Amino acid sequence: MLTISNLVKSFAGDGRSAAGRVFAVNDVSLEVGEGEMFTLLGPSGCGKTTTLRSVAGLEKPDSGRIVVGGRVLFDGDGVNVPANQRGLGMVFQSYAIWPHMTVFDNVAFPLQVRKRSQRPGRREIRERVAKVLETMELAHLADRQATKLSGGQQQRLALARAIIIEPPLMLLDEPLSNLDAKLRESLRYELKRLQRELGITSVYVTHDQIEALALSTTIAVMKEGNVLQTGRPREVYETPNCKFVAEFIGTSNFLRGKVVARAGECVDIETDAGRVRLESAAQVPVGEEVLAAIRPESLELSTTGWGNRPNEWPGTVTNRAFLGEAVDHIVRVGGLSLRVRGNPSVSIKPGTDIFVATEPSKVTLVPVG
Amino acid sequence: MSRRSALAALGAAGLLLLSGCGGAPTAGPAPGSDQPTAAEAVYAEVGALSGTERRDRLVQLAAEEGNKLSIYTSLNADIADIVVPQFEQATGVDVDVYRADSETVLQRTLQEAQAGFAGADVVETNATQMAIIADQGLTGDYRSEYRDKINEQFQYQGWTPTRFNIFAPAWNTNLVAGDLVPRSWEDLADPEYDGILSLEVSDYDWFMTLYGHFREQGMADADIDRLFADMVAGSKVAKGHSGQVELLSAGEFGVVAASYTYLTEKARASGAPVDDQPFVEPVVARANGAGLLRSSTHPATAMLFLDWMLSDGQKIILDNGLTPAVMPDGTDPLAGLQVLPVDVQQLIDEGSEWSARYDEVVRGGEQLPEQ
Amino acid sequence: MATLATGAPGVLARTREALVRPRTLVAVATTAVVGYLALIPLVYLLWTTFSDAEGFSLGGFARAYGDPRIGGLVGNSVWFAVGSAVLSLTVGTALAYFNVRTDVPFKALFFAASIIPLIIPGILYTISWIFLASPTIGLLNALVEPVFGPGTFDIFTVWGMIWVEGLHLSPIAFLFMVAAFRSTDPSLEESALMSGATRVQTFRRVTLPLVRPALLSAALIMLVRSLESFEVPALLGLQNGIYVFTSRIYQVLRSYPVDFAGAGALAVGLLAVAALGIWLSNKAGGGHGGATITGKGFRPRPIDLGRWKPVVGAGILAYFFVTVLAPLMVLLYTALLPYYRPPSREAFASMNLDNFVAVFNLPSVPTALKNSLILGGGAATIVMALMAVAAWVVVRSGIPGRQILDHIAFSPLVIPGLVLGVGIAFVYLRSPLPIYGTLLILLIAYCTRYLPYGMRYAVAGMQTISTELEESAQVSGAGWWATFRRVLLPLIAPALLAGWVYIFVVSFRELSSSILLYTPGNEVLSISIWELYANARFGELSALGVIMVLILAVLVAVAYKVGARVGLKD
Repeated sequence: MLTISNLVKSFAGDGRSAAGRVFAVNDVSLEVGEGEMFTLLGPSGCGKTTTLRSVAGLEKPDSGRIVVGGRVLFDGDGVNVPANQRGLGMVFQSYAIWPHMTVFDNVAFPLQVRKRSQRPGRREIRERVAKVLETMELAHLADRQATKLSGGQQQRLALARAIIIEPPLMLLDEPLSNLDAKLRESLRYELKRLQRELGITSVYVTHDQIEALALSTTIAVMKEGNVLQTGRPREVYETPNCKFVAEFIGTSNFLRGKVVARAGECVDIETDAGRVRLESAAQVPVGEEVLAAIRPESLELSTTGWGNRPNEWPGTVTNRAFLGEAVDHIVRVGGLSLRVRGNPSVSIKPGTDIFVATEPSKVTLVPVG
Repeated sequence: MSRRSALAALGAAGLLLLSGCGGAPTAGPAPGSDQPTAAEAVYAEVGALSGTERRDRLVQLAAEEGNKLSIYTSLNADIADIVVPQFEQATGVDVDVYRADSETVLQRTLQEAQAGFAGADVVETNATQMAIIADQGLTGDYRSEYRDKINEQFQYQGWTPTRFNIFAPAWNTNLVAGDLVPRSWEDLADPEYDGILSLEVSDYDWFMTLYGHFREQGMADADIDRLFADMVAGSKVAKGHSGQVELLSAGEFGVVAASYTYLTEKARASGAPVDDQPFVEPVVARANGAGLLRSSTHPATAMLFLDWMLSDGQKIILDNGLTPAVMPDGTDPLAGLQVLPVDVQQLIDEGSEWSARYDEVVRGGEQLPEQ
Repeated sequence: MATLATGAPGVLARTREALVRPRTLVAVATTAVVGYLALIPLVYLLWTTFSDAEGFSLGGFARAYGDPRIGGLVGNSVWFAVGSAVLSLTVGTALAYFNVRTDVPFKALFFAASIIPLIIPGILYTISWIFLASPTIGLLNALVEPVFGPGTFDIFTVWGMIWVEGLHLSPIAFLFMVAAFRSTDPSLEESALMSGATRVQTFRRVTLPLVRPALLSAALIMLVRSLESFEVPALLGLQNGIYVFTSRIYQVLRSYPVDFAGAGALAVGLLAVAALGIWLSNKAGGGHGGATITGKGFRPRPIDLGRWKPVVGAGILAYFFVTVLAPLMVLLYTALLPYYRPPSREAFASMNLDNFVAVFNLPSVPTALKNSLILGGGAATIVMALMAVAAWVVVRSGIPGRQILDHIAFSPLVIPGLVLGVGIAFVYLRSPLPIYGTLLILLIAYCTRYLPYGMRYAVAGMQTISTELEESAQVSGAGWWATFRRVLLPLIAPALLAGWVYIFVVSFRELSSSILLYTPGNEVLSISIWELYANARFGELSALGVIMVLILAVLVAVAYKVGARVGLKD
């Protein structure tokens, strides 16, 4: 549906240095399938918003190619369709609701500004806007001044405006970041439901990994203008391909070590916490420095120990934190502190000696760096 | 593109745009040709006539010209609004009056002459500006019996006085009475006027004339300088004679060194406690006058106006508190007064030096904080 | 940019395509018109400054700056300008803040306080202050004399000049800052209060930085306005020999032969100071704090002043008295007297309506009033329409070199009115179009003179609008024109209206170029004012001033009402 190839966008630097160009997006290629909810995830300044704005036509990339549904929107060799002719929908971070218009006018605007030949009649506009407002549960507010809406209502209004023209692709730029936590969560599910129901291919930009995991069909993690990893949420979460991804998505325990043995996909490494066994298809030779990542919820605790597990280490609880739906224990194992997340019914006093274990399949090998 | 290079480029482009139009923008000599113009032919023809014959001929020619006239003047509105309708009534001519201060009248006249635009038929303004316009060769000769009656000290080439501006000290009668009333120009240097004397910032013509007068009296320049310095010490410098008289009436000033007598008279007539009589003599007098433009498209009408202005018009001027160039009975209005005429030629030749010098004298006030 | 050199085959075609896009066409057309209007006097000024009969010359500079007193001149100018700017900004900003953000009492007075000082002609405003605070005849001095002795206030000092100019300018600062405060989100301040900041800290650390673009814009205008102010330095400064740029330029222009080069050199000095100001304000404004109108709704909620309410209320009343009531009362008082004299039993006994009758009987007044209305309305409308687009070009278009437009549009501010008039006359006297001698030439002069103000108002308005509002319209499929007309224009309408009102009102005062360019039958009101002033008819002048204040106040009120009806919310 959306293909981005070798996209490059640089900005002038601070002007003092001669070289002076900052690469916001550096050779990014992405493929978004029909009906997907594709998320660009990364910290601020990673180039995710610039990528999105390039697709929207609000930034002019230096080079590369952007194709939506077979239509070339941008090509470094001469094509650059203006934003207003791309026919995409977009929801802005601030919603960019026009404060001088009513709810109805805001939504009707994209239809009203079409070329005369393609513009629907007055009645059709009214009907289509009414239908979209209905879907968004805003119908009763149609005549209200747009600024007099609550945060959630404004967010839905921005969405309504984006989908009124039934765009082939919808772009969402951190649309939930301005809302309070509770509203954010409910709207997250609302958004996912709508996206599924309407079947609109969407590109979603966020820095919130939970949002990305909950909403997306595919996540692309970006850092400093590059895509580090693309995959299904579970894939990215469970098998991060680098330390940055592992760290950025959820929390991970990192264990640095050296490969000491290898048999098929089964790799043994020696770390400060002891010997760790993991499963990896990667060709890592014995003697190689590696990094193993284990999610806190993949670690189990036992006061007695199991005695027969490949990854089982003795340790001491040093701290604990009650998180509501879970309890985190910090356990000192060898020279390392591991975070262990478990059922809230199990709470162990700091100072208690304890055993920690995990399955080799839950340990991910990430490239050092 | 840097800002400087951009400005330079724009400047160049603008210059190209303008230079297509030609001509220097400054008030340099106008490229007036020496060929007599059509208007000058009329001035020459009618100038030779007099009496009823002259008037009949002018009326006839004016009618041929469409009985229209354009005047540029610095005559005050309240006078012009009486003079012009009376002329219109007397002759049936339709007059357009452009009124502005004398410097603006001069600017406009010179600008239009440079561009070859026939705007005015008659220009009526202060001596300095009139002399410049005449000096530029923009005016034609005006010969008439009325002109001949004017005081000899005020006969100029290319323009003719229509009224006089007389400078004399004026005082607030509540603040200045009895012995305090100034009797001579030298009196103004007396410290008793410190804090209440006011000078006008652009009165360098008055300064120049008075300076010349003191020289003729045999005073050394150093003494004259000291005299003016004493005058300025403790004085208040104002801009504009009208405002000066207003503030004199209000008591802000006690004495105005050189006030136009007609302004003083007007304030006095409206009940303000001001006076300038008996005049401090010699009074400094500067003519205001009119010239007929060589580029005029209504030369006979212009001439008709000037004839009328120097005859019937003089009475209106007198009735309105101004000093006419000729009294309605044909006598000299300055007779019996000691008069120091402002030397117009000297003003043109040395004006900027005197202006700078006066400027310096006036600024002396600031170095002597008296209050 | 560097890719141009590679000469890719599509480059030329693309460039051509980009040039005929409507936004480019409109931007180019606007730039052309603005450039044409502003460059005529500027080029004329530079030409006369740098040339003499022989060609290029710096003689004007030598004469103007070779004067040993130039140091004092520059010092006075800067002292006066900075002082007036600081005073007007402080007063204007504080008033705007109280008006928009707090439950301050007497809000109805703000409207009058923001407009009336603009309407009163500068000559009259200054003279009324002489009557109020002259050391010898000032009414205020008479009032406090029993306590402090004679001559407590002296208006004829630089401080006095700053006081009058600052107060006269404060309404402009007020109008500017009201628009800025209205468009910032109060929750940003509330969050600061919640963080434990005091009101004053909040104002200083949060509110002021938020309105910084508008503040800088206003500061720039105030500064240049007071640099080029004429009436106040002429009437108050000369008396004690305090010269500034403008009074010196005036003097130079009044002598013969007119030293255009010398006057021009001084004006170029002003231009340099102003350019420095623009540069500084661009630099300072470039950082953060730009966009404040976002697409998120907010409801301005007034802050409860609590126990400060009476104090602030008293301050507002004092300001109203000082800027509006006192000068107006002096005007009215003068208008009713046959000649001015300090209040006394006899003075009150001599009062009558003769001056008002005389004004109505002046033959030129009805024509002048009509022409002033046409010119004021026309110039205000043309300038604000042009500036709406020009502001977009400068703030939003991203076109390289767009700042030049800003600089060009600013230049008429520092060109002396007479030079501007002479420059315009010079061109149109030689133009085949029959413009010289018509009302049109005055319209051109007014549009030129008021470009800078229009630019500041429009740019300040444009800067407060979040780019996302524009981008969301583009993404919604709106072309440039639709975006401009349906989104940007309504959003900057309050700023445009404020600019319109300002130009409309001040154009009634324009004299220095009007007097050179008008023709009989095309008189304007300022010419009538000048004539009354030149003839020392202060009573009638005051009466005309009172009448003007009434007429313009009504018209401005109507303009705001109409503005409110076409969708401007407050």
